[in-house]
Amino acid sequence: MFSYIARRLVLMIPTLIGITFVVFMLLALSPGGIGASLRVSGGQMEASKAAQLEAYLEDRYGLNDPVVYQYAKWLGRICPVKFGTRDQVTPSGELIRPPKSLVTPWMKESLYPDLENPEARKNEPIDTGSLDTDEKKARAYRTAARDYAKARADYIVATKELKHAYARYAKATGIEGAVDDDGNPRESRIPGVTIDAAAPSWKPVQAAAYKVLETYEIAEVARDRLSTIFGIKPFDEVGVPVLPGLVSLASPDLGTAFSRGRPVSDLIADALPVTLLLNLVTIPIIYLIAIPSGMLAAARQGTLFDVLSGATYVALWSIPRVWAGVLLIGYLANNQYLGWFPVSGLHDSDAASFAFLPTWTDGEFHRGYMLDTLWHICLPVACFVYSGFAVLSKQTRAAMLDNFNADYVRTARAKGVRNIDVVFKHVFRNSLLPLITMFVTIFPFLLAGSVVIEKIFSIPGMGSLVLEAITLRDRELLLANTIIIAVINLLALLLADILYALADPRVTYD
Amino acid sequence: MTGQTTMSNTNDPTSSSSPIMEVQDLAVSFDNASAGPGGPRIQAVAGVNMSIYPRQTLAVVGESGCGKSVTAMSSMQLIPRPPGRFDRGRIMFEGRDLLSLTEQQMLKVRGGDIAMIFQEPMTSLNPVYTIGDQILEAILLHQDVSNEEAVRIAVKAMDDVGIPDPMERLRSYPHQFSGGMRQRVMIAMALACQPKLLLADEPTTALDVTIQAQILELLRELQRTRDMAIMLITHNLGVVAENADVVCVMYAGRVVEYAPVFDLFDRPMHPYTRGLFRSIPRLNDSKHRLITVDEIVEDPAEYQQLPGHAEGVVPWWPDPPDGVKPELVDGDEYILHQIDDNRWVGCFRSTHLDSMEASPPSLDFRRPDLSSVGQ
Repeated sequence: MFSYIARRLVLMIPTLIGITFVVFMLLALSPGGIGASLRVSGGQMEASKAAQLEAYLEDRYGLNDPVVYQYAKWLGRICPVKFGTRDQVTPSGELIRPPKSLVTPWMKESLYPDLENPEARKNEPIDTGSLDTDEKKARAYRTAARDYAKARADYIVATKELKHAYARYAKATGIEGAVDDDGNPRESRIPGVTIDAAAPSWKPVQAAAYKVLETYEIAEVARDRLSTIFGIKPFDEVGVPVLPGLVSLASPDLGTAFSRGRPVSDLIADALPVTLLLNLVTIPIIYLIAIPSGMLAAARQGTLFDVLSGATYVALWSIPRVWAGVLLIGYLANNQYLGWFPVSGLHDSDAASFAFLPTWTDGEFHRGYMLDTLWHICLPVACFVYSGFAVLSKQTRAAMLDNFNADYVRTARAKGVRNIDVVFKHVFRNSLLPLITMFVTIFPFLLAGSVVIEKIFSIPGMGSLVLEAITLRDRELLLANTIIIAVINLLALLLADILYALADPRVTYD
Repeated sequence: MTGQTTMSNTNDPTSSSSPIMEVQDLAVSFDNASAGPGGPRIQAVAGVNMSIYPRQTLAVVGESGCGKSVTAMSSMQLIPRPPGRFDRGRIMFEGRDLLSLTEQQMLKVRGGDIAMIFQEPMTSLNPVYTIGDQILEAILLHQDVSNEEAVRIAVKAMDDVGIPDPMERLRSYPHQFSGGMRQRVMIAMALACQPKLLLADEPTTALDVTIQAQILELLRELQRTRDMAIMLITHNLGVVAENADVVCVMYAGRVVEYAPVFDLFDRPMHPYTRGLFRSIPRLNDSKHRLITVDEIVEDPAEYQQLPGHAEGVVPWWPDPPDGVKPELVDGDEYILHQIDDNRWVGCFRSTHLDSMEASPPSLDFRRPDLSSVGQ
């Protein structure tokens, strides 16, 4: 049994890689590509500023890397086995990585091999000895990191400008095929082209190249500084070393959401409990109603109850959730009608000040945090629940009817077992087996339903998060959501298989 | 004459004089779902009489759908109602009519006084409970004993039916047993509460021949040691010849012939019985084709062989050849007629037979090997 579970857990890894790869590729191939929302955010800026911001963001999130490379980097980040220098983590939980390396100036050998940087800055040595407290180290790190980020951004923008200048030059002097359809220079065509230094459009290229060299020098210096400070470990290192300096184990890093600038793990830690709360309230309600009524329908096959319950559930099942949700809000939550329930959200606006349990103070009833939450989830849960009865109760009924006619039920009756014991002990126990499988199918179904229901009721759960990730093409958020949902579903599948073995002695995994 | 020798056995002092169960004019019908409500019902059993004495094996033979199992299931009220319905008749067991008992009273009878084993040992045990759970359930339902005592009884029952290492096997699940072993478990479960009557509904049909012989031998031995009556429902005439004391041949929900086993095999009186025997292939016969039951029952000569044929004693058959039907009285055309001291044959209810006093079949007869044990 344990070797089976271990094998299943190991097999989850390739499954998860497959799932996330497909989702990632769909995201990358969608119109606008990864991080599409980032690129449109600077609509009000002037063009050059917007270009600068875009260049900076692309560099920051690695969006200019090839798609497969981006995916591989993401895999490396969530992989618990890390190689090389260990990351560090600030007391507030922010993850600090070793400073990114700088690419050498663009096309230096071909375009401006002789150009010298007139005022190459000397690398002022840092007196690391003076950084004797953690606080000083942290402050020095912050300053250095900010400097490097700025210098790096300048360098990237300068590189971009150099490319533009070269493209203009190439166009003016008529070098064939030097510029591609998007107006960017073709790197493969640059070496070997004789430069006409007298051309008027060459001057801006030279100026831009000079700027590139200058910003490169500054960035290099800033990076060296940052590396030195990172090397003295201003913060605690993450994870556990396995081979010191080479291999370490650390918890997966889900990255930072593009759109919100917050760590994805924080966002999920906020959203997942909400969705789990909804599901953990919903599933027992569905099971506690559908299974007994399915059993009763089977025991009273053909009676009014059987027919009515079946018809009612199927009718409920066929009502679209969007419509039902809107109707519920309109009639039960709208103050102009009944106004019994809150319209949206998960808590009252001042719920944070509530006590957890209901209290009775000053002759007034305060519902407290728990009741407030339950009150808020009434309508969403109703929306989840109503369509879940049909499949489960029909399954229960069919399984029970199958077993009512089974030979061992006749044996039990012939032994003198009371009718009620026949139903519960013999028939129901055997009818459980298909219901266990049902448990797994109902789970992803509820998660998928979350997307719609959380949107209607403005609940900040996983469904809302997934929707946000998709509309904003937020790579980190989407992949993290995918992997969390996939892990939950795969674990539910595994749980079902284990339950199956416990419920049916004929099934063993040894 | 064979009948004389068998009659002497009937007077054996060890045999009891009153039957343990008597089925009297039982008729059971079922709703015909395709005919709709109020439509014609399917008459599964239409006036069956039989009786079983202690330590006797009554074999009920007949083709599928002739009402054998329905008769047995009726005596435990295991017929689902609706669609089933008891139209008339009684099943007397120890002075009570089983058909009139309430469900509460039946719970005591089922598994306690009357036990039943079924045709399909592979599916007759609940797959999700251990053998022990299932045997203990039966014991605890009918005997007022502690759990430990019940385990002891269960182990004894399993030991009695020849299951090796019974203590260990109590913890096994049905799927861990072979078919023959499962049938032994079924028998152990049925016998754990010392029933007075065992209804064995084709107990060996699903088993291979050697296991069949073992199971039947086991049943015979248990019957001998416990004074238990057995109603053995079967298709297999070989099984009947080797195990039965009295045979009841059924067709279309009616008894067509009722006789001690040796008499029946020596001299079958009803054309259908003869048809059954003739259709059995024999090893030393070289035949192109077997004789079918139809060939026999469609031959008018077959209907003229009963004693008293001239007065109108004609074997009953639902669809007889032309010209054999005697003059009938109104009402049911069937009557079970006692032709001899120890023989009953289903006949047409002619005016002659209608005037005679009908006696229900009752044969307190056991094979010599069985009755000699008690002496």
